[in-house]
Amino acid sequence: MKIMPCPLNGPRNISEFTYGGEFKQMPDPATCSDADWADYVFNSDNRAGLVVEWWMHNASSYWFLAERHTVTDEIVRTFDPKEIFTRRVDFAAPAQAREATV
Amino acid sequence: MAALQAQQFIERSPLYRQQADATLGRLGDSVIVAHYGEHDESPQLQRCALLDLTNLARVGFRGAAAAEYLLERGYQLPEAPNRALTQSDGSHVARLSQTEYLLLGSLRDAGARIAAEEAGWQFSETANYLLPRQDSHAWLLLTGAHIAEVMAKLCGVDLRPEAFPVGAVAQTSAARINVIVVNLPEGELPCFQILCDRASVAYFWDALLDAMAEFGGQPAGIDALL
Repeated sequence: MKIMPCPLNGPRNISEFTYGGEFKQMPDPATCSDADWADYVFNSDNRAGLVVEWWMHNASSYWFLAERHTVTDEIVRTFDPKEIFTRRVDFAAPAQAREATV
Repeated sequence: MAALQAQQFIERSPLYRQQADATLGRLGDSVIVAHYGEHDESPQLQRCALLDLTNLARVGFRGAAAAEYLLERGYQLPEAPNRALTQSDGSHVARLSQTEYLLLGSLRDAGARIAAEEAGWQFSETANYLLPRQDSHAWLLLTGAHIAEVMAKLCGVDLRPEAFPVGAVAQTSAARINVIVVNLPEGELPCFQILCDRASVAYFWDALLDAMAEFGGQPAGIDALL
């Protein structure tokens, strides 16, 4: 079986992991356009090559990031998200919801 | 005195039907298997035995302030994630991540200290969050000389003593369900404390007994442990 190195638990069978999608930089939800936000939420790059992805180790519910080559399926590196998320992300109070006009 | 029946208690192990032929004993507000036959089960525990500790108290804490909170309450904490320590009163603390701890109760006080931790926690500004584990997980104890060989039949992780010494924790998959395996002996008796999904434990119990059969493994009660 393919083995993935979990940054918390060490090498584990790939069947112990769940794929969580591509890692993407979040646009600022307060200032970005609806199109930018929809692109962030719904669209994937689906790049052939080296990508960074979210993965979860099921038994410990631990989310981490993995650099993987999507052509060779080689896992280059896995690392704790704290390497990227170095401080807390606070969201401003949501803007007043606008009444839908028919 | 009439024999205790699990059905007389609100809290009972999900394995109580499989334990119909066992003799039960009181454990706090619930019951636990005391022994199966009339013979001494100590040799069985030394060889290969499986005990159900599901009715013994357990609870988790998580958050940036969880370690400080537990230290203040007199617990010794493991230095690193996936390590565990037995406390002086016989309870256990396993560290599951940088900021998550799992507390396992002691048979000596019927889990009272750990049950009190769950009852006494209050939500506050500090980042220390309660993780109730009594109804989410089941707790089994695999004992004896063959624990690593039994687990090798069910689990892809090397749990032999060279790779998985006393005090080690493995969060992994065994018999295709998620488990937490903690290598903490009860006194001199080699033991894996195994936590798994509570709703799946009837299956997992049978899977473990099946794997234990070639080593003469049998279910046992806590009388021989005390």
